[in-house]
Amino acid sequence: MRKRYSRNFDQIQEIVRDTGQFFEQEHIDESLRMKVDLSVEELFVNMVSYNTETDQDILIEMQPIDHGIEVSLTDFDVERFDPTLAADVDIDAPLSDRSPGGLGLYLVLKMADSIHYQYHDRKSKITFTNRVAAE
Amino acid sequence: MFEIGFNDKGDVAVSGRLDAAQAARAQDFLDKVSERCVIDMAELEYISSAGLGVLLRTHKRLMSGEAGLELINVNKHIADIFRYSGFDKLFDITVI
Repeated sequence: MRKRYSRNFDQIQEIVRDTGQFFEQEHIDESLRMKVDLSVEELFVNMVSYNTETDQDILIEMQPIDHGIEVSLTDFDVERFDPTLAADVDIDAPLSDRSPGGLGLYLVLKMADSIHYQYHDRKSKITFTNRVAAE
Repeated sequence: MFEIGFNDKGDVAVSGRLDAAQAARAQDFLDKVSERCVIDMAELEYISSAGLGVLLRTHKRLMSGEAGLELINVNKHIADIFRYSGFDKLFDITVI
């Protein structure tokens, strides 16, 4: 799958639908679906929310790999922002010290089996994989 | 598709997908709650950090009045998200 989406949260519904079709077509294990949906949403929302200097669409690519899936999101004409360097979240902090900020990227880093960031010619590309755990 | 409302027991019932596109609607609803509140998540299929933020903001507001949220009938996938987020230490949670 290779498709561009406009910079709008309303696109999440279409992304979820397209992801579901891709899983079905490529016979990707459904147990990975929640992790993939969540990581794609968090990265997409992060790009839409913080890369406000561009109005270009965001490219999402998916391809099957052994026992799993590889997903890339590319944002065009933006500054460098490496989500793999996102600050850690103290999940043991008391309620009074907790805030929603930073939780999205933290979850992506927690759930991806691998994650890789590339920045070149003002193109910001993040790629992650999810595989079915070996039994 | 995301739905939020009160069920027959007077609990808040949520269903569908609580994502970034739906978080504002969920927040608007929960902002009207002023007492301890049970959220039945039996029909909730998915939650992202935007939804977690709604729960956290509401829980903090209610806890300041010694109330808070209780999350019941949470499915295994969402329970995993709560565990990754440390929400299992902040909320009363009952997993299906």
